[in-house]
Amino acid sequence: MPRHRHTHRIAIAASLVALITGAVACGPKGQGDTKNGAAGAPRSGGTLTVLNRQPQKEFDPARLYTSGGGNIPGLVFRTLTTRHRAAGAEGTKVVPDLATDTGKASEDAKVWTYTLKDGLKYEDGTPITSADIKYGIERSFAPELSGGAPYLRDWLVGGDTYQGPYKEKKGLDSIETPDARTIVFHLRKSEGDFPYLATSTQFAPVPKAKDTGVKYAEHPVSSGPYKVVRNEGDGRHLVLERNDQWSQDSDKERHAYPDKVDVQSGLSTEVINQRLSTGSGADAAAVTTDTNLGPAELAQIGGNKELAARVGTGHFGYTNYLAFNPKSKPFDDPKVRQAVACAINRTSVVNAAGGSSLAEPATTFLPNQATFGYTPYDPFPAGATGNPDKARELLKEAGHPDGLEITLTHSTAQDFETSPDIASAVQASLEKAGFKVKLAGLESNAYDEKVHSVQNQPDLFLAHWGADWPSGGPFLAPIFDGRQIVKDGANFNTAQLDDSGVNDEIDAINKITDHEAAAKRWGALDQKIGEQALVVPLFHPVYKRLVGKDVKNVVISDWTGVLDVSQVAVK
Amino acid sequence: MTQEIQQEIQENDISGARQVLRRLRARKSALAAAIVLGLLVLFALAAPLLAAWEGQDPTTYHDGLVNSAAGGVPLGSFGGVSAEHWLGVEPGTGRDVFVRLCYGARVSLVVALGATVVQVVVGVALGITAALGNRLADSVIGHLTDVLVALPFLAFAVALTAVVPADFPRPVLLVLVIGLLNGVGGLARLVRAQTLSLKKLDYVSAARLAGGSSWRIARRELLPALAAPVITYAAVLLPSNIVMEAGMSFLGVGVKPPTPSWGQMLSTATTWFRADPMYVVLPALLLFVTTLVFTVLGDALRTALDPREASRLRVGRAGRAGRRKESAI
Amino acid sequence: MTGYLLRRIAGGLAVLLVLSVIIYAVFYVAPGDPARLACGPRCNPEQIRQVREQLGLNQPVYTQYWHFLQGIVAGHDYSTGTGTMHCQAPCLGLSYQNDQPVTGLIIQRLPATASLAVGAMVLWLLLGVGTGVLSALRRGGITERVLTWLTLAGTATPVFITGLGLLMLFCAYLQWLPFPSYVPLTDDPEQWAWNMLLPWLALALLEAAKYARLTRSSMLETLAEDHIRTFRAYGLAERSIVGGHALRGALAPVIALSAADFGSIFGNAMLTETMFGLPGLGQLMVTSTKTIDLPVVVGVVLVTGTAVVVANILADVLYAVADRRVALR
Repeated sequence: MPRHRHTHRIAIAASLVALITGAVACGPKGQGDTKNGAAGAPRSGGTLTVLNRQPQKEFDPARLYTSGGGNIPGLVFRTLTTRHRAAGAEGTKVVPDLATDTGKASEDAKVWTYTLKDGLKYEDGTPITSADIKYGIERSFAPELSGGAPYLRDWLVGGDTYQGPYKEKKGLDSIETPDARTIVFHLRKSEGDFPYLATSTQFAPVPKAKDTGVKYAEHPVSSGPYKVVRNEGDGRHLVLERNDQWSQDSDKERHAYPDKVDVQSGLSTEVINQRLSTGSGADAAAVTTDTNLGPAELAQIGGNKELAARVGTGHFGYTNYLAFNPKSKPFDDPKVRQAVACAINRTSVVNAAGGSSLAEPATTFLPNQATFGYTPYDPFPAGATGNPDKARELLKEAGHPDGLEITLTHSTAQDFETSPDIASAVQASLEKAGFKVKLAGLESNAYDEKVHSVQNQPDLFLAHWGADWPSGGPFLAPIFDGRQIVKDGANFNTAQLDDSGVNDEIDAINKITDHEAAAKRWGALDQKIGEQALVVPLFHPVYKRLVGKDVKNVVISDWTGVLDVSQVAVK
Repeated sequence: MTQEIQQEIQENDISGARQVLRRLRARKSALAAAIVLGLLVLFALAAPLLAAWEGQDPTTYHDGLVNSAAGGVPLGSFGGVSAEHWLGVEPGTGRDVFVRLCYGARVSLVVALGATVVQVVVGVALGITAALGNRLADSVIGHLTDVLVALPFLAFAVALTAVVPADFPRPVLLVLVIGLLNGVGGLARLVRAQTLSLKKLDYVSAARLAGGSSWRIARRELLPALAAPVITYAAVLLPSNIVMEAGMSFLGVGVKPPTPSWGQMLSTATTWFRADPMYVVLPALLLFVTTLVFTVLGDALRTALDPREASRLRVGRAGRAGRRKESAI
Repeated sequence: MTGYLLRRIAGGLAVLLVLSVIIYAVFYVAPGDPARLACGPRCNPEQIRQVREQLGLNQPVYTQYWHFLQGIVAGHDYSTGTGTMHCQAPCLGLSYQNDQPVTGLIIQRLPATASLAVGAMVLWLLLGVGTGVLSALRRGGITERVLTWLTLAGTATPVFITGLGLLMLFCAYLQWLPFPSYVPLTDDPEQWAWNMLLPWLALALLEAAKYARLTRSSMLETLAEDHIRTFRAYGLAERSIVGGHALRGALAPVIALSAADFGSIFGNAMLTETMFGLPGLGQLMVTSTKTIDLPVVVGVVLVTGTAVVVANILADVLYAVADRRVALR
């Protein structure tokens, strides 16, 4: 088998490689840059190359979902508030961006007021006003520009029926702009997490005069450190250059070290990871914003210290779990659900999900980070490999001494989330406890449609949930809030839990604007719900990504779990 | 003299099949290929026995045999080869590779052979009908094959597996989808082209003049002459059908897990070929051997079936191109 | 000849019409709601309703299809929210995902796919026919054997494994070639060729064996035919027999098959483009199938369908030229 030689540390060997690659006439961009590793202080200059799988098809701030808005678009759009660009738990904090603070809340957290910083400008030099932010938010209500998260619609007064500024010129009354620097939001209910929502790209300013509707994405007007100079092939190739109207003084979070960012996409996972590890030419100064290392690549890196040093590890708030339909037989019986929980062999499941470096066994629904209110608990302790005997006993108590025939629904996508391998691992551990498990694999669209439909929901299926921002609210409410059961659309409360105790507690915590105090109560609520065995948490994924050998200042926060593209330097 | 010839023709008619077999047996390479094919089939049929002999089954997870922290790469050398696991274990799951290959052979051989039969039957029927029928039949069939060729396989396979009831046996569905969408168009066009050439040849024209029906001509005169190119083509289609099954597994519309197939193993093995080469090499090798076997057999069969070969054998004269002493492949 | 061509073109249009109807039907029955997918990960029912209306998906499927046909003939006006945008005929509609005109998306992607298909076809014909001729004549010794084994191994290996193997060998290990990144032919022909070399090779290896086998068997057939024997008897030079007559006769089925394959190459081109990151139609097809982006899928299928139809017309004309026994009909 060919094995890539990693001899870059030795100067002679490195120049030899450069000589060879340089001597071969067909090497396209043989720059022969042989600078050592990623040590030293970050400096400005150079070109950062981004190698991605998915083209940046969406570049309209109205259409980006919370997670997507944090990557490349975060270099172009500034928002009222933003993520703190710091490593680990520190990076889960929300900080001001365009605004002077993270927002002043009214007593009941229903009215939120923001003031813009002084002297903010777009790439063309025109000033950024609060009316532009209001307009940007209103645009996201237009059906032409759908794609964003549902919170604005659910929270703003009148948001549920508003159809955007193209159809309703009058705009939303619940957003007031008393002057060019002040903006006030009126919410239908108390939402202590509003500053977190204000980090999403819908809160980026859009100048009404420059709005071209669905064509705006071709050249969105920049408020951030970079502007779009080329956008080819429907977001396949992007070139960003410095926006000279942006100033570091008004932006404490983004660094913008490189002069230029060149985003190439449509590449396969294998090619991206191989290019990053080989690192020839421009690839030495490359990162990826959408491709994790898979188990095979991890195994291959194995003992290679040079490569291992270039792997960034991060934790994003995410849980993969087994979901029941407690409204249908046999899972209406808590004993049967508990039997399943006891039988699960999390070691097998973790291995099928890529091994212990890429997945951590989970017993709580909340991700294992303090910012979510993580409270360690295990309501059905069965050890790392499950307890089939205990499960059998529970089944017997439930009136199924001869076992039970069940169907597990999963998707056929090879994604280490709801994939056949994980389903087979669950199947194998349940069969040891006397279950007879049939697997039903669905193509991913069919799978999504089925598991999120109240009418057609399978009895037992693989599911996952990720954080829209690092707080217990958006993690627990969509899954367990009874008022969020969606009868004729995409339903995520798959347990169909409508418990007034849970609903009231969610409302009560939402009133709290002190994040730490709220986190404690989310943790307690998680434990209370967990004891009902409505879901069986399986694992929390771990993200690992490779960077090019010239890349410096790799910052990975627990908010995103992946490297922050606004922090990296290539000089 | 006349009697002799008549007798010979009779003899030729009666013992045609036997002669073909005799000629096949006379070729060492064909014999070797047949033996290997027999072994492959035996390998598939005896899967449960072989599994019992090794003491493993295709679905049990062995968490202790993989290095979980290193992405689940099998512990030990050559992909975890040991006395318990003769060909090692699968990365991530630790399932036994030998037993999965045995069971995988069942699906792969059935799908490959079944799909090839569908392709040959449909392709030859369409091709001959197009060539012998009137202009309308020809253009309708021509357009039908164009549609078959241009249909997006991916979209179609995904839609079909979603529409077809879950209880419908998956291998049969795979046989039909691959059989009808992979290679039928090419085969039909090939057969049509050959038939159009043959139609102009003297012996076919003679048969037509003698008043033979289209069906009779097709059966008596054309099919034997078409056998050679069709068999050659089918011998190459067969492995490409296995590869197609791999492609469908790659898209998640292959056989249902945890059932193994060579294609499914190949498609999941792709990313492992540097970290755990054994896992890729084994199914790839089996696929290669299968390809080889069918190519050699196809060649031998083609020569053995050739009517002109028979006449030359009798006259005792070989073509100068040395067609009787062809190499194995 | 003109009448023949007109008839074939009319037939081709019928094929495209049928194809588009089939795709509409398949997407109608296939699972997944395009409005929901276009709407984003978490849309409420009211929002989905608005998006469905915006995309025109609330209308019956035959009305949608009618609008699609209208757009091809007469173009369409679309609202951008702030104004209107005119999509010129032939307008294939707007992508459900991000409202880009499909015609533009396809034009952007066409050069990469055309480069891949044409180059790979040239390569596999050279490789396949060359190998076939060598092995039919039993010339070339070791070269012929290596080529034969190579092409057979190529056929037996899925393109996603061949492609990855080539990448790792030539770009990562030997570093003889850059990791392919598509450079348009018009920008820099030399870079274009170097970057396309590996994708061409991966695809060509998959198909070459079929052509090698076919060329070999057809040549053996032709060499055994009476008129060749007559030529030999007359003492014609072997070179002129092989080059002028045998190869010419043998090329007829090769041409017929390449036409069919040129159309069906698209299926494997899809995997090749994904593997090598080529911005072609195959990649577009994969992503739009996943997101049920019907206008894009129909657009791509119509383009590939056109390629199939045109290739077949060309093949029939060439076939008649190559084999004088066949008349166009």
